[in-house]
Amino acid sequence: MIPVQFDYVAPATLDEAARLLAEHQDEAKLLAGGHSLIPAMKLRLAQPSLLIDIGRIKDLAYITEEGDQIRIGAMTTHYQIEASERLKEICPLLPECAASIGDVQVRNKGTIGGSLAHADPAADWPAAILALDAEMIAVGAQGERTIRAQDFFVDMLTTSLEPNEILREIRVPQPQKNTAQAYMKVAQPASGFAVVGIAVNLTRGDDGRCQSANIGITGVAAKAYRASNVESALAGNALDEQTIAAAAAHAADGVDANSDLYASADYRRHLAEVYTRRAIQKAIAKL
Amino acid sequence: MSKFVGQRVKRTEDPRLIKGLGHYVDDIRLPDTLHVAFLRSMYAHARITNIDVSEAMNTPGVVAVYTGRDLGEKIGPVPCAAALPDLKVPDHRPLASDKVYFVGHPIAAVVATDRYAARDAVDLIMVDYEELAVVVDPEEAAKGGAVVHEKFGDNVAYKLTAGEGDIDAALASADKVIKQRILNQRLAPIAMEPRGVLARYLPGEEELTVWSSTQIPHLLRTQLALMIGIPENKLRVITPEVGGGFGSKLNVYGEEALLGWISMQLGKPVKWIETRRENMASTIHGRGQVGYIEVGCRNDGTITGLRYNVFADLGAYHQLLTPAIPTLTGLMLSGCYKIPAIQINVTGVFTNKMATDAYRGAGRPEATYVVERAADLVAAELGLDPVEVRRRNFPKPDEFPFKTATGLFYDSGNYEAALDKALQNADYARLREEQKRARDEGRIIGIGVSTYVEICALGPSQAMPAGGWESATVRIEPTGKVTILTGASPHGQGQETSFAQIAADELGVDIGDVTVIHGDTSIVQYGIGTFGSRATAVGGTAVYIAIERLKEKANKIAAHLLQADISKVVWDENGFNLEPEPAKVAAGAGVPEADLPAGQAPGASLPEPQIEGKKSLSLQDIALAAHLAKDLPPDMEPGLSATYFFEPKNFTFPFGTHIAIVEIDRETGEIKFQRYVAVDDCGKVINPMLVDGQVQGGIVQAIGQALYEEVVYDEQGQLVTGTLMDYAVPKAAMLPWFELDRTETPTDVNPMGVKGVGEAGTIGATPAIVNAVVDALSPYGIRHIDMPIKPENVWKIVNQQS
Amino acid sequence: MKIEGTHELQARRERVFQALTDPEVLKRCIPGCEQLEKTGENSYAATLRAGVGSIKGTFKGNVRLEEIRQPEHYRMIVDGKGQPGFLKGTGAIDLEEQGDATIIRYAGDVQVGGTIASVGQRMIQGAAKMMASQFFTAIEAEAKTEANDPPPKHGFFRTALRWFSGWVRRRFRKKSGA
Repeated sequence: MIPVQFDYVAPATLDEAARLLAEHQDEAKLLAGGHSLIPAMKLRLAQPSLLIDIGRIKDLAYITEEGDQIRIGAMTTHYQIEASERLKEICPLLPECAASIGDVQVRNKGTIGGSLAHADPAADWPAAILALDAEMIAVGAQGERTIRAQDFFVDMLTTSLEPNEILREIRVPQPQKNTAQAYMKVAQPASGFAVVGIAVNLTRGDDGRCQSANIGITGVAAKAYRASNVESALAGNALDEQTIAAAAAHAADGVDANSDLYASADYRRHLAEVYTRRAIQKAIAKL
Repeated sequence: MSKFVGQRVKRTEDPRLIKGLGHYVDDIRLPDTLHVAFLRSMYAHARITNIDVSEAMNTPGVVAVYTGRDLGEKIGPVPCAAALPDLKVPDHRPLASDKVYFVGHPIAAVVATDRYAARDAVDLIMVDYEELAVVVDPEEAAKGGAVVHEKFGDNVAYKLTAGEGDIDAALASADKVIKQRILNQRLAPIAMEPRGVLARYLPGEEELTVWSSTQIPHLLRTQLALMIGIPENKLRVITPEVGGGFGSKLNVYGEEALLGWISMQLGKPVKWIETRRENMASTIHGRGQVGYIEVGCRNDGTITGLRYNVFADLGAYHQLLTPAIPTLTGLMLSGCYKIPAIQINVTGVFTNKMATDAYRGAGRPEATYVVERAADLVAAELGLDPVEVRRRNFPKPDEFPFKTATGLFYDSGNYEAALDKALQNADYARLREEQKRARDEGRIIGIGVSTYVEICALGPSQAMPAGGWESATVRIEPTGKVTILTGASPHGQGQETSFAQIAADELGVDIGDVTVIHGDTSIVQYGIGTFGSRATAVGGTAVYIAIERLKEKANKIAAHLLQADISKVVWDENGFNLEPEPAKVAAGAGVPEADLPAGQAPGASLPEPQIEGKKSLSLQDIALAAHLAKDLPPDMEPGLSATYFFEPKNFTFPFGTHIAIVEIDRETGEIKFQRYVAVDDCGKVINPMLVDGQVQGGIVQAIGQALYEEVVYDEQGQLVTGTLMDYAVPKAAMLPWFELDRTETPTDVNPMGVKGVGEAGTIGATPAIVNAVVDALSPYGIRHIDMPIKPENVWKIVNQQS
Repeated sequence: MKIEGTHELQARRERVFQALTDPEVLKRCIPGCEQLEKTGENSYAATLRAGVGSIKGTFKGNVRLEEIRQPEHYRMIVDGKGQPGFLKGTGAIDLEEQGDATIIRYAGDVQVGGTIASVGQRMIQGAAKMMASQFFTAIEAEAKTEANDPPPKHGFFRTALRWFSGWVRRRFRKKSGA
């Protein structure tokens, strides 16, 4: 469990980090919380020749509000999000999702930006980020660009970040009133990763019907996805038990589900349906 | 006189461990230490056609690279202590030479000036393999096909039949015979501290010191001396802090010998600390039995016969006790029942996997699982309450010592008392009513009962391959402090506390005045080690009797000094007294501080014992007098110490009842504990907190086996559960609250009446949990489900039916 | 481990088959292929730097094509070994003509060993599928060109991957736009 030799730099600014990344491209990896990268390096499955530690860059860990957006710095730890009283009030999906990640040690070190950029197919954040319709702010040599959550996750361990881009910030639209949110997961008993993880972010209109529903699902497929058939089955309809159950049955529509030692593809799809229903119910119970 | 024994005394080990001040092997740093890394096979079975180490040798920092061919027979075979008739024993050397037999099989050792260079060089060793056919499944292995060891012709290492009574007649005449195939899956012991070895050879002194994370320092010394070919009195084994073993360090590993040998070649200290991946692949596994139960019973629930035909998955090689583990299963197949006819037929088979060996319980959890599943199968078949079936087959308290059809004499027991207490604590009758109501509501609840007995205090030397006794030296130092040397070297059990409790009470000193020393073969007289729930019952008894011996001597000295007949000198917690009345010294005074003259080291001049006119002498007075030796009885040896080697007459047989209550999520098959109730009887208890800790840890490992853990090799023999990302050890958040209680039935096998408790939790709990899940699923026609019980399997059962 | 899949390529079958059996094309299309040398009739020695995301390893091995029935079928036998372990696989590839498009079906058995087998359990299948997608996506790009055109700009892992990502994004947009 000893990595191959590598160089280490800890730039003081994001520009410097971006410059180093552009210079070394594939040979370099950004080090955030290190809770995915370091284990992979110790197993020698990842062998970057340069680690660019962005942990020393000031002001990358924050939770602020700007207009109708919540802005979260990429280096904000899971624990900081989990413990944010303000987020519990205005966007409970974020702290709820954070609290379900790994264990205390992982949450104290792991960062939201690191997790998103790593794009583990069973990580928790992608589900929440998709359900919240968040935007990712990426910094590269050519400046900044905004990537929608839907476009961010490309495949297993693969995002649409360019090799020389750094994820700087996550922007989450402020939930409107009458928004119901919840995150539920079945944790793999060894790793704690999501066998299925369901993020719900829906709005109920004054007429009691579902105005809009965003459902993000992780752990089921090679990448997290929006369960669009569940969403459309909910939108415009009364949020009664039958509607929810019928909608949740579409949780894994058209999904090429993962299969591993712990859960077959069929079981995963089934869990996705059951937990989608439960997560929706859990969310609206809070309204 | 029990100020400490029986009390929840906090572990004296813990402050240093909690503060990170303990010393494990890796914490021992010697100057100029070289580091070893191993190249291990990534194939399960292959011929090595070529090894090229030249590039590795050229890596900066690399000092040497050894392959199996370099070693030849310079290091003796890794020992197997199991003596079974006609056992096939493969030649097992520390490094593979011509062939590799399992994933993780060590092929080469790189020695370098630091760990990083050693590890880097491992990747530069080029090995050409010619892949060979792989055999993974033990039943397939027994049938033929691919052969692990060519020279044996087949994979059957041994066959063994044991048991008494006419099993054929018993099954033929039974009202019902129930058959069931059951699996005891392979488990990884996962000690928190992996293995580690540091070896230092001093060429001048010709002395080799080996620090190793082991449960058996003395046995290891003897075996390493034989393997390496160094005189045993020039070899010192030191076992510093050991971070758990669970049986996996009750062994002699090739790496231990190899490190010692390398240090002798290079004349420098060499260190190897096992990685977690190596630990998963190359430290012994436990369990690994596929068996077929046939249980015969009468219609009233009386069990008349039990046959267990079992394939034991030995792995590719024998480690120290590999083939012996299933024989322990055979011994315990009577459980806590009167079964007139029992037969076990073991087929031990080689497979292309790591060896199995002792893991917490070592063969006995397998037996208890068989018997306790069988009891529930009988209950289900006859429509009886599982509790009634158990009660009907218990021997009564007045039937002890009780002889089983497996040839054992159970020392003492009151199985019904433990069962009744557990039923009462759980409120069993109400639970069954609640279960009925829950089922009516469509909820799935299960109640699982397991009444177990286990074999502990291993054991009489007759029954053991290398001695079953244990040793202790108890010494009162000139200043009155008490030193205990124990051969039962602990690996987390807390003997430093429990043995000090025994000594403090027996010697009338404070627990803080007792130091327990262990795990250094140059300091401690020969010992056997800590395993098989033996440390307190055998090692603690050795301490207890050594103290009695020491006190006999002290008594003689006291009588001499008090100028009285020995019959007039009586011991109490304050010392030896001339008159039968206890002396009026404040209770709890412990050992008075030696009243040393200021400015003088004790070695230079010790205070004179003040005897004149005294009617009572403290132990310290006597120790000092014995040390100064100016006025001792004629022919009396100076000093105050005693050594005792305790040989138990029998095993002990602790027992108890575990009850698990689970609820199953109808939609997903997920299993949740509602409650967990246990009543254990381990005889007399020295420290209830340590006993609780042992029971709790044991139950956790049982939950692991019942619900989560499984070492999985794929068809090609690849270890697919190679890290803790895939091998699920239960975490605190996955556990229920344990409602623990005890009954206390002493044994007369040892004078303290203690039985042992290290493995009870694991043994009792595994079947209780599985029985609970099966009970929950019984409305679906389920009589058995194999471990680990994964939610998906439960879901399939529930889903198919609804 | 069984892997199987179907890909629809917007290219004619003859061209697709040609691309699939042309070592120059294969070298450009196999994800992470750094070297591909002919060692005999339909057999090649290859060096791959393969992986997903930050998880990567270098494998050296052999590729052999058998049962070639132009333009509809062949069998591919692959074996490779590297620091993270080894992989061996055999699979049948079938091409079905569908107008100007081609449906590729592959079904095979892949065996992995070493570190990747013992630590990558939950991701191996996904990784295999992903690399197959990358491969066929690249092949499609090749097969869309005419015989004498210069090859499309891709070849190494990153490029293929980014191209593939773009393709996914475009598909996604098309879908959500519809």
